[in-house]
Amino acid sequence: MGPFNTPWETFAAWIVVGASVLISLVWAVFFVRDRGPQ
Amino acid sequence: MSARAIHILVLAAYMTVLVAIGVAATRRTRTADEFHLGGRGIGAWVTALSYVAAYFSSVVIIGGGGFAYRYGMATLWIGAANVLIGGTLIWIVLGRRVRLFTERLSTMTVPGFLAERFRAPEARVLGSIVIGLFLIIYNVSILKGMGNAFEVLLGMPYIVGVLVSGVVILLYVSLGGYLAVVWTGFFQAWVMGAGLILLTVAALRAVGGLSAANLALAQASPGLVETPGAWGWAGLVSYALITSFGVWGMPQMVARFYSIKSVNALRIGTVLATVGCSMAVLPYLDGAIARVLVPGLSNPDQAIPALTRAVLSPWGSAIFLAGVMAAGMSTFSAVLIITSSAIVRDLVQDGLGRRLDERTSIRASRFASVVVGLVSVAIAIKPPALVLVLMGFSWAVIASTCLWPIVFGIYWKRATRWGVLASMGGGLAASLVWMVIGSPFGLHGFVAGIVVSLVSLVVVSLLTPRLPDDHVARVWGERRG
Repeated sequence: MGPFNTPWETFAAWIVVGASVLISLVWAVFFVRDRGPQ
Repeated sequence: MSARAIHILVLAAYMTVLVAIGVAATRRTRTADEFHLGGRGIGAWVTALSYVAAYFSSVVIIGGGGFAYRYGMATLWIGAANVLIGGTLIWIVLGRRVRLFTERLSTMTVPGFLAERFRAPEARVLGSIVIGLFLIIYNVSILKGMGNAFEVLLGMPYIVGVLVSGVVILLYVSLGGYLAVVWTGFFQAWVMGAGLILLTVAALRAVGGLSAANLALAQASPGLVETPGAWGWAGLVSYALITSFGVWGMPQMVARFYSIKSVNALRIGTVLATVGCSMAVLPYLDGAIARVLVPGLSNPDQAIPALTRAVLSPWGSAIFLAGVMAAGMSTFSAVLIITSSAIVRDLVQDGLGRRLDERTSIRASRFASVVVGLVSVAIAIKPPALVLVLMGFSWAVIASTCLWPIVFGIYWKRATRWGVLASMGGGLAASLVWMVIGSPFGLHGFVAGIVVSLVSLVVVSLLTPRLPDDHVARVWGERRG
């Protein structure tokens, strides 16, 4: 059983939400800026 | 002040802001490019939050909560898939290339991009017919959702909800075009977020926290906290896929990447869209909590309204109602402007070769958006089928037709004209046939549609002549010689 009385396979949905935010932040940090006219 | 008076006051204030934004946007809409895409000058915040607002309709809030009431916490996976695939990955995978490619090809619409990218005028006609037709069906399902929300949350007749929301949307879309759509979407995303957070906090407090909610659900039936639970893998996965991966083929979502002011704005936009899309899990959480707090409802779609009545004050429920309306109206307006673009730009101007000057083009676009809106309202007054079935149906058909051509159009140089036409035709036919024969194996028609569309595109492209090298190089922005 995972946190908050949730089975792990259901709690993993919350982990995916958190991981999505993390992925977007990492992507933003390593974002390659476009050098063309903006 | 009575609860009803508070609801009407908050809704009136909310709709006044929408019309004011529409009027303000009119002054900045002088060309057809500005009417359809806001002149490709929309910033990261407005693009990202209007994307979130266009993504989630009131059908998702009311219907999603209904699913969770019926199937429990496993439905959180639908929200999680929406955030990861429909919020984060789409921005990373499609954003930059769609922005660059459509600018190089000077296209403003999805059918226009497919026609120019693959030198396939037939793709423009097929794409615009499918988008025009099935987005109207989607419009009807959104309006129906808003009519139902009015009925159950406000106690007012269904037809009043359809007419009030329909007329206000028609007003600001026909006046301010795309700018009005994205700026009202930006405002509406905040209203949606406020309403959903308010309901979730109140529901968690009333049930005694997430642990207590899970414990109570497990005692009622262990399947309500397990994954996949009573729904089963086929139903859960295919529904999660259509509502998250399906977005990749929806023109009203992809258009946000056309109109963002620069590639660099995608950097902050991706984070904002992901955080905004995180609200997708809340209707499912609320629906599951409703199963504990208001058990025994015969119609699961009553779960969220019943929960609202149980845990929110009149002011709180008024804000939540505004949030539900915001979800529906922002999606409807986003769809309306895209349908108008498909008809005026792709069918009339480019498909039939009718040249229109700027003023006539804007007038025609305004007229088309009013006509499409009125047709949607007229159908929604006496709607043909269940809300979610209708929504899933139209999404599946459009996504099955457009998704792979868009993705391969920006990633695979070898994709050919005949490959993309086979993909569009195959995806369209497969998704329709699959649904007509009753969705065998519990799989959604979207799954059949994208599989056939993918195989058709790859196989037919490999069997047919490549596009000329100089054309591909121009599309990819490569210097030749």
